[in-house]
This record gives sequence, structure tokens and C-alpha cells, in this order.
Amino acid sequence: MNEPIAVSPKSFKSAVKPIWCPGCGHFSVLNAITKAMAALAIDKDNSVLVSGIGCSSRLPAYVDAYGFHGVHGRGLAVAQGLKVARPELTVIALGGDGDGFSIGGNHFLHACRRNVNLVYIAMDNEVYGMTKGQASPTTPMDWDHSKLTPHGPGVRPFKPAAIALAAGAPWIARAYSGNPNQMAKLIAEAIEFEGFSFIHVLSQCITFCPEQTDWKAIVHERSEPPLDSADLAARLFLADDGFATGLLYREPRATWPPPLHIHKNKNKNENEALAALAAAFAAQ
Amino acid sequence: MTLHTELATFLAHSLALESEARERYLELSESLAAHHNGDAAAFFQRMACEAGQHLEEVAELAGDHVLPQLQPWEYAWPDPEAPESASYEALHYRMSLVEAMHLALHKEQDAAAYYRQVASDSLCSETRRVAAGFAAEEEQHAAALQTMIAQLDEPAEHHRLDEDDPQLPA
Amino acid sequence: MGDTQLSIAITGAGGAGVISCGELLLKAWARCGGRGLLRKAFGPQIRGGEAAALLKFTDHERYTAAGRYDIIVALDWVNFDRFQDEIIAGPDTVVICEDSERIPASLRGLPVIHHAFAQLASSSHPEGRMNMVAAGLLGHLLRLPMSALLEQALAKLANKPEAYRDGARACIASGYAASKDIDRPLPARDASGAWCLTGNQAAGFGALSAGVRFAAAYPITPASDALEWLAGGLEAVGGHLMQAEDELAAINMTIGAAFGGVPAFTATSGPGLALMSESLGLAVASETPLTLLNVMRGGPSTGIPTKSEQADLDIALHGLHGDAPHLVLAALDIPDCASATAWAVQLAQALQVPAIVLSDQFLGQSTAVVAPPRLPAALAAAEPTPSTTDEYLRYRLTASGVSTLAHPGDADARYTADGLEHNERGTPSARASDHREQLDKRRRKLESFDYGPDWGRCVGKGDTALVSFGSASAALDEAAARLAEQGAPVRTVALRLLSPLPVSGLELALAGCSRVVVVEQNHSAQLYHYLKGRLDLPLESLAIPGPVPLNPHTIAEAVGARQDA
Repeated sequence: MNEPIAVSPKSFKSAVKPIWCPGCGHFSVLNAITKAMAALAIDKDNSVLVSGIGCSSRLPAYVDAYGFHGVHGRGLAVAQGLKVARPELTVIALGGDGDGFSIGGNHFLHACRRNVNLVYIAMDNEVYGMTKGQASPTTPMDWDHSKLTPHGPGVRPFKPAAIALAAGAPWIARAYSGNPNQMAKLIAEAIEFEGFSFIHVLSQCITFCPEQTDWKAIVHERSEPPLDSADLAARLFLADDGFATGLLYREPRATWPPPLHIHKNKNKNENEALAALAAAFAAQ
Repeated sequence: MTLHTELATFLAHSLALESEARERYLELSESLAAHHNGDAAAFFQRMACEAGQHLEEVAELAGDHVLPQLQPWEYAWPDPEAPESASYEALHYRMSLVEAMHLALHKEQDAAAYYRQVASDSLCSETRRVAAGFAAEEEQHAAALQTMIAQLDEPAEHHRLDEDDPQLPA
Repeated sequence: MGDTQLSIAITGAGGAGVISCGELLLKAWARCGGRGLLRKAFGPQIRGGEAAALLKFTDHERYTAAGRYDIIVALDWVNFDRFQDEIIAGPDTVVICEDSERIPASLRGLPVIHHAFAQLASSSHPEGRMNMVAAGLLGHLLRLPMSALLEQALAKLANKPEAYRDGARACIASGYAASKDIDRPLPARDASGAWCLTGNQAAGFGALSAGVRFAAAYPITPASDALEWLAGGLEAVGGHLMQAEDELAAINMTIGAAFGGVPAFTATSGPGLALMSESLGLAVASETPLTLLNVMRGGPSTGIPTKSEQADLDIALHGLHGDAPHLVLAALDIPDCASATAWAVQLAQALQVPAIVLSDQFLGQSTAVVAPPRLPAALAAAEPTPSTTDEYLRYRLTASGVSTLAHPGDADARYTADGLEHNERGTPSARASDHREQLDKRRRKLESFDYGPDWGRCVGKGDTALVSFGSASAALDEAAARLAEQGAPVRTVALRLLSPLPVSGLELALAGCSRVVVVEQNHSAQLYHYLKGRLDLPLESLAIPGPVPLNPHTIAEAVGARQDA
């Protein structure tokens, strides 16, 4: 049959069917990821999706690629170790707002500043879904739907894009689960970008935050080209309503590992190198 | 929205529209099946089949043409997604069959409206002719759905409420 | 066992350079074929604090901390009290110092040799330093040729200004000339082909030799220097070391690299191991191979970071959540830090499991002259029984428990590694049968593997056995020698493999014993309790916490006294 594009996004789905709630925004992220992988005709055997724990972190099992479903909050660390050890792989880390900004917050900061060449998709629904709806770092201060914080968390929400910028991320985008095609484009661009590319996805939770269906009316695509200086981006991220989508900031910088770390004598015989290291221990 | 001046571009859009519709209905069906909403799941399964049939027809028509290769974000849809793709976010595990039908009806109507607009505005006469045919087909689907909906009762106002708390994941 | 040894403690404060002096002496001694050990003790300051270089020259390589020092050299007496638990004098101890007025009470009455270190240094050269005077003086006592001292000094000071090197040369010469003879027998210097290294360096070398090409690092005393050595070592062989933001990241970066098929390593100490333990559970469940060196220090909490203890055995064995079978090994001595780590890497890779190697501050940070480490021969790859289906099943149930491990890049074996319980395919599952089968599989692969004779070191004969693990073994060997001299021979068993416990090997090694004394350097008798739950033997416990190193004397007396009682 004459399919619309050469490689079908469907072929990037695994045989495992999602168990997310019907109405969950994460379906849209899965859709966008498979579309982006198809668009770039990514080699499945050489791509890995890495996640932590949470509803969103179940995603790797749904994609026909290699996957690693780790522990809560540590997906980015696994992804960075993997990418440094195997630079030829396409590595996509993903997880939720609790996973990435709370328990894994430190890894988020340091992944931004370390700038290993991988994609990080944070699927933000402002709630801990898997543990039944507690407030997360991005929950509004007065959100009083959780038994754990019956009067609302009372804490100012974390601003993922602003914090990524301050921590040194060179590529920052925002997407919305209501627009998987735009998200697919951003993911494809993120994969092709040389460096740490952060996509903050507003992904609704139908079960615990049904009010998020209102996002559809609030989200607005930013049509201007991405900002290329951190001071302008800081102004945007701190001043805007957090619902502007698109590639917001792009300022390439040196990735890790830097050239000096990349072995100088790549073709050197390993046995000779080991022998030289051993010789340095000789006492006589 | 750009008006397709070339038939090949329009056919590429039609293929994407129908193929995405089929995939989406399948996903919705699988998702509801996993949540034990058999009626709505079966309905979306049937909708997927219908979209699949339409896709085959479009594909047959398109077989003679060299179609542009467009990425998902390169299509000129009136909305962010292809007109017949039901929003993932419109789903609910306790949605009634009638609600599922309403959702599908809206998408069929969106698809019909899209085709109808091409049929009226395209500068290419062949494109207008083919689009009008597709529009008629979608309108037929929509009408059939409306008939079915009319035969069913609307659900109780609070039918989506679940007395149990959300469960911890398996 | 040879029995000629000479112990020298050199102390000083405020940047006096006693550690450099000790290193120079050990290296020069080693250069001339001698064997010896250098331990370092510090006050809490980063710079300028009191420090002690604790040297022990021997004619064998079973190094223990000296129980008593034959010579105590004090460049000054600032805060000497801090070391009074460790720098013990015997009746024949000679004190060498400048300021005999301030000799601490514990050393009063001992023979004293005066040397005006400061004056000798400044009169030798404007850049002269006391520590080099002491190096010359002690070098002469050790009957080392001046050339050997100068060679080591100049090598050590290669990057210092020329005038500074001239000063060192002049001070060594004047110390050498001023030295007064002390009539002590010196150990033979007949080692050849020896290496001089720390246990941490050895562990890094062992990891690299066994194929480790990735390490993630978060600094912690006393493990950092293993990682620092590896930073250079990995670069030399084309690997990578990543400095992580915390131990949580370090272990997960290690897991990521290992999932990519690159043998991966990290090192830490107790508090870091506690932070890593959740992800070790992940490595167990996802069957991701990795090697973790845990250099034990006094605990809990920040504890005594610069001192040795064997108190992380419990957490290494039992600190993981859930039923999480994994490997725990222990290095018995400094060269064994290389051998045990290399073996751990091989086992971890072959059995697709995390391996914890226990070392400790004593092994890790002491420098010793040793025969080159004996690295294990490559393990025969444990090939899983062939699959009967074409479909790749990552967690396939096999007789050995080992299933084929595919890596990204391998064709047609795509799977998602999972910490969630899963079925053979890797799909998450909460079914009782899947959980049971995978639990069994993960245990089976460790318990059915033949670890061979390297599970421990058994020496001697006797009705009484002394059982230990890790660095305690050297103290036990020395205690056993003393007991043998007293006509009460004992056998010693030192465990290198702690989990899975080599029960049949232990039972064979301890067959017929009327007493089995489990000796360890911790407070709660962790090894004793571990063995007690698994061995039907007459076990007794002798558990002595740090920070003072295990003393063979004390052990021999305790074992002998109980025997008499």
C-alpha cells in the first residue's frame, strides 16, 4: 500500500500496548517519538530509550528500539553513561516531572551543564500519577486535590525551562500533548542537534488533573525563531506564562566529553598501554 | 490552510488523513480494551476498519501519482492534527458508547469539512472533483453515525464517576 | 615467614613534609630490593595539619600495620597526641627529635637521639627542608646508598624549582652525614621485579586489565585515588571516566555504560555504597553487569573517613532491597586488590550481575612493595543453552540461569531492560510464576557457577581455625605464626568470595576444627553472624572495631587466652 511516508511511525511501536489511562497525554508523546524516528529513518538497533520511574517512564517498552527502564529519577544518569560509552547510539532519555525535577532534579541540573549529546523529554503533567495524584514540583501552589497536601503544596512551581537555561542547557523546547506533529518535529530536531536537547512537554493527566484539558485553549505556539542568547531566553522563560511552545532557545556549545578526553591515541594497542601502566608500578 | 493546487499534494494529505485516522482509532480501541471498556473499544475498532477501507481506496487512486514525501509536521491541516485523528486526550476509560460515537462523529465531520473545503476552493479541477467524492463519503459516515447515535440513549450525567479510588499500578 | 623487620614513624606538622619523606624512603628501599609498607595518618586539616608516615620494612610481603615502632622521628611534637593510639613505643624504641623538652609522656624514658633538623636544613641550603634532612638521616640508618635517595628525591621533585631541588639534595647529604648509627638488624633486600603501589591503584589496574573501559566517579575518602588512577588509566586504553554529580548518578552512569556493553566500574566508600544500593538492586533485576569497589572506612555516617574498618560487610551482603543475589568479594592484600577486582569484573560480566569488591582504607591507601599481582586467567564464557525459538528472550530461563545479553547495536534483539519484575521477554509482569522463575534464575546463575579454588586462602593446620575476610587476613597470618611459635598451631582461612558463600569449600577447609574463631575489624561481628547462619561449626567471634589496625599480638593473645581458659 502507498503509505504517506517512506518509513511508517507504526513500525517503531513495539508489541507491548500502553496501559496509560485513556485520555493521557503520554500517548501523544509516544506518537511523536515514533513519528520523529520514522521521519529520520532512525536505525532501531542503534537507538535506546532510557527512563526512570513513573507513568511516563513506561514509554521505552512501547517503542521498538532498545530500552532501559531504570529506577526513579536516575534515567538521565543511565542515559549519559550509555551515550559516553557508546557515542554512536541515538539516546533519548525521558520521564515525568516528579522523576526529572524532584527526585532526579540534581541529575537534570548536571545533565544540562554537562551537555552530553542526547535528547531529554520531560513529560510534565504536574502530578505524581503512579502513586495516585500527589503534588509534584510543577504543581500550582493552590492545587488542593491531593490528600497529602489538602491545602495545596504551597510551594512555588519549578520552572523547567528557566532552570535548564540557568544550568547551561544549549537547546530548550516546549511541546504540548495536544499537538504531536509539532512535538515530532521538535524531537527530530533535538535528535539532530549536537548536544543536550531538552523538550519540556505539557502532557495532560486526565485522571488526577482533569482541569488540564483547559490547556488546549492556553497553549500558544511561539512563531519567532529560537532565541540564541541566554539573557533574552531568561527573560522569556521567567516572564512568559509557561505555555509557549516550539523551539525556544538554541545556543550550541561544546559537548562532553571534550576532545581532550577523547582518547588521543585511539589506535594504540591496548596491551601495550596496559604494559606501560604496569611498568610505571615497577619498584626497581 | 494552503489549498492544494496539485492533485498529488492533495492525495498525499488524504493518505495521511486516513492512515492516521486508522492508527488512531486502533490505539483508542486498544487503550479502551485494556481498561475493559469493551463497547467503545469495539466501536473504535470498527471505525479503524472503515478508515482502513477508505485508506485503501485513496491508495488505489494515488497509485498512479508521484506523491510528495511529507513529514508529519509538513501537512497543511486546519488544526494541529489531521482532521480525522481523534484526540488522545478526549478519551476516558468510562466513556459510553454514545460518547465514543460523538467523538468519532466530530472527526468524521472534521474530515468531511476538510475535503469539502478543498472541493470548493482548490484551483485544480481534478482535485476539486476527487475531494468532493471524499467529502461525500465522510458525510455519509457522519450521517450513519448520527443515525446510530439517535437510536441510543445518552448516558446518565454522572456515569463517569468511579466509586473506587484510582488504583496503584500493576 | 621472615621475622626481621624495622618500623619507623615519622611525624610532623605544618607542612613539614613527613609523607614525602616516608615515600622517598620506601621507594629508595624498594629500588634496592627491599620490601616494605607505608601507611599515612593525618589530622583533619587539608593543609598544614599534623601527619605521620608509618613505615615498616620487612623481609616478607604479608603486611600488617606495625604494632610497635622501633624508631620514632619527630620533626616537631605538634599534636603528636593525636597519633598516640597508633604510634606505640616498645622498650627498645629510639626517639629521634630536635626538641627533647617536649617529648610526650608516653615516650619519656626512651633513648633519645638529638638532631637539630631545622638548623641542619637551613645551614645546608637556603631552600633546605627538615624532611629531607630526616630522609638522609634515615636513609643512612637503612644503609641505603645516597644515590638511591637522591634519585628518588629528584624524581619526586622533578616539577619543583631548581633551587628547591638543590636544597633537597643538600639536606639529604647533610642528614646522611649527620646520622648516628643505631644497631638494629635490617631485613634482607632480595626482592626483584617488585611493584610499588597502593591497593587503590592495584584495584584500578585490575579493573582495567579485566576489560573495564568506563568508570563513573564521585569523590569520597578513601576511594577517590582508585578513581583518580583510573582517569589516566582509562584514557591510556581509550576508555572514559565521568565525574558524576553524586553517587546516585555514578552508579547509574555505570549501569548505562554496562547496558551499552562496555564493562563498567565505580568505586566508593560506605556512605556512597548506601546511596548506590537502590541502583544495585536495579542492576540485579535488569541483570546488568558492573563492578563496584567499596573501600571501607570507619562508620557509620561520616565516621572516621581516613581510618580503616571492615564494617560495610553487612550492607554489602544484605544492603539491597528485595531478594537481590549479587557478588561480594574481598581483597586480601594490596596485590589482591588487583586480582580480586579483576576476578570480580570477569564474574560480573559472565554472570550479568553487580559485583561489590570490599577493600579498606588500610589496603587502599597504604603503599607497599609487592610481587606483581597475579591476574586471573580469562573465564571461559558461560554460554547459555541454545534457544529453541528464533525470538530473542533477554531473560530466558536457562539451566545455568545465564541468558544471552544483547547490546544496543545487535541486530534483531531489541528489548527493554527493566527493574520491574518481568517475564522472559522483559515485559513487566506481576504474575507469581514470572516473579518466582526470575528470582530462581537470578539466584541460580550465582549459585550454580563453579568459582574454583580462588574463593579463599587456607593456610596451616590445627584444631583451631581463624577465619577472616579481606585485610584482616594478614593480621591473622601473623597471629597464627605467633601461636605456632608458642606451640599452638592454628589454621587460617581468609575469604575472597563472600557472596555467594562458598559453603562446601569452607566446610572442607574447617573440617575437624574444635574451634573456629571469626576475626574481623568491626564492632558487631558481621562476618561471624553471617557465617553462623550458614555453617554448622563451633564458631566464636573476635570482633575489634577500628580505627587502630588489627594487631596480630592482640589476636594471638585473645585466641591463646581463650584456649587456656
